[in-house]
Amino acid sequence: MTLRRRLIPYLFLAPALVLLAIFVVYPIIAVVGYSFTDYDIVRPPVFVGLANYEKLVDDPTFWLSIQHSLVYLLVTPILIVLSIGLAIVVNRAMRGIHIFRALYFVPAVSGSIAIGLAWTWLFDRNGFINSVLLSWGLIHTPIQWLANPSMVLPIAMLLTIWAGVGYYSVIFLAGLQNIPEELYDAARIDGCNSFQKHRYVSIPGLRPQITFVAVISSLAALKVFDEIYVLTGRTGGILDSGVTIVFYLWKQAFVLSHAGYASAIAMALLAMTLVFSIVNVRFLERGDAEA
Amino acid sequence: MSATSESQVLAQPRPRAQRRFRWRRVASTTGWYAVLVALAVVTVFPFAWMLLTSIKGPNDPLMSVPPQFLPTDPTLAAYQRVLAALPISAFFVNSVIVSVTTSLLNVLVASLAAYPLAKMRFPGRTVIFWALLATLIVPAQLTFIPSFVLAVNVFHYYDTLRALIFPALVSAFNIFLLRQAFRGVPNDLLDAARVDGAGEFRIWWRIMMPIVRPSLAAVAIFTFVTSWNDFLWPSLMLHTREGMTLPVGLAALQGFFSADFRSIAAGVTITVVPILMFFIAAQRYFVRGLAGAVKG
Repeated sequence: MTLRRRLIPYLFLAPALVLLAIFVVYPIIAVVGYSFTDYDIVRPPVFVGLANYEKLVDDPTFWLSIQHSLVYLLVTPILIVLSIGLAIVVNRAMRGIHIFRALYFVPAVSGSIAIGLAWTWLFDRNGFINSVLLSWGLIHTPIQWLANPSMVLPIAMLLTIWAGVGYYSVIFLAGLQNIPEELYDAARIDGCNSFQKHRYVSIPGLRPQITFVAVISSLAALKVFDEIYVLTGRTGGILDSGVTIVFYLWKQAFVLSHAGYASAIAMALLAMTLVFSIVNVRFLERGDAEA
Repeated sequence: MSATSESQVLAQPRPRAQRRFRWRRVASTTGWYAVLVALAVVTVFPFAWMLLTSIKGPNDPLMSVPPQFLPTDPTLAAYQRVLAALPISAFFVNSVIVSVTTSLLNVLVASLAAYPLAKMRFPGRTVIFWALLATLIVPAQLTFIPSFVLAVNVFHYYDTLRALIFPALVSAFNIFLLRQAFRGVPNDLLDAARVDGAGEFRIWWRIMMPIVRPSLAAVAIFTFVTSWNDFLWPSLMLHTREGMTLPVGLAALQGFFSADFRSIAAGVTITVVPILMFFIAAQRYFVRGLAGAVKG
């Protein structure tokens, strides 16, 4: 009976732990192993030592993909600023405000492939953007937006920002509504105008939310794939102009069947996420202490 | 302003100040509505443009300067082409099967794991807690190569819906969210049940689960939408056209109708409508789930 009692917590945890062991822990160990092999998924892996890593260091596309992923991280500060702004805008009692809040959330639930296709059409040579720019006389010939190497990444980032603002602003809105009204009253008495009110009360009050959004949106930015896949028609863009680290991993592993080499890329991805994971753990630890 | 009204104002300064105040309020409310509408246009426009493109008739040019918004002879021909070319209803059924199964089993697995982490003391608890945290950090894409090998060689579920369901059954994020909810349940309630002779499993099912029902709903709905929109892993696993989920089928549509934007627009519109309807129905849980996530 006592043994059974002692086993109880583990019985509750067993399904989750077994699934995690199979689908997270084992694959991580295996991918480390594969990174030292020549492997095409079909034939058994052949040990090659550090060959994949040596190749990686001299692979300009790999470095380009790292560079693109780092540039992509710029979406994080932009998302934070815009989402806080939107949260402040919708944090007021107005008739129909719930409808607006729901509308802003729509891109977040619509699915990356659907919104990616919608944007592909907007930025197509025959798309809406060119139509408008031509009619305003800002351009004289249609621009090939997505065939332009310098435009692919900015358009993908714009898409990520457009789709994310409504989502993250819900988090900030919940944070704003937890800030006691007295703090705003005190700020008003001290002579703050409405901008200063947000600068000195809202922003400090939103610190946990800012940390949270910074971590999850930067991890999401490092993992970006779907947007690039759709906007570039699964090519990664002319001259690899839209290739991010996850896109390159996917291309090496599942298009070119270089699973061993792709596993080495996965290690680089792991190293990059480790930097952000430190922030992540710190944050969650703090949240746990507060609870 | 006449002299009489001026003297009235001098005699009673309040109403005028109030009137001016009300004017300012009306102006600022109008201004805020203008901002809200402008933001809504930016948010909704890509979808609206898709819808309008999808029903444009053969005489409506897709590209015109200035842009033509409304079709002159609307037609559903593009929808007929898409439905004839691709088994959209099969995609839909597959997506429903995967998302419903994944979200329900996720709630079950996560709530089981969350209970001891929230309410029991046992050896290894801290280690398990940190191990779970660590899995939150690892990007799923890192595991795709070994998971692919497992799917083909070990579990033999390549090109079936099970390949989408099994790896998605557990999420450390959901475990933390529910752990947070369980911690809010008063211990007195559990002790009272134990005195009455209830076992831990009974307490979990009859006391804990009903109390945290809103959190369970939030977890289920979030998992549902994540699963519904998941693309990369499903695209690796699903090969047969009839077996695809909506996002995978939609991506196939892009290759199928490469230059026919009327059809692509129709396909996107068909696939976006169901999830939007679901969102409208379950809207308040999204807010609850996201707001709760930060505390968890």
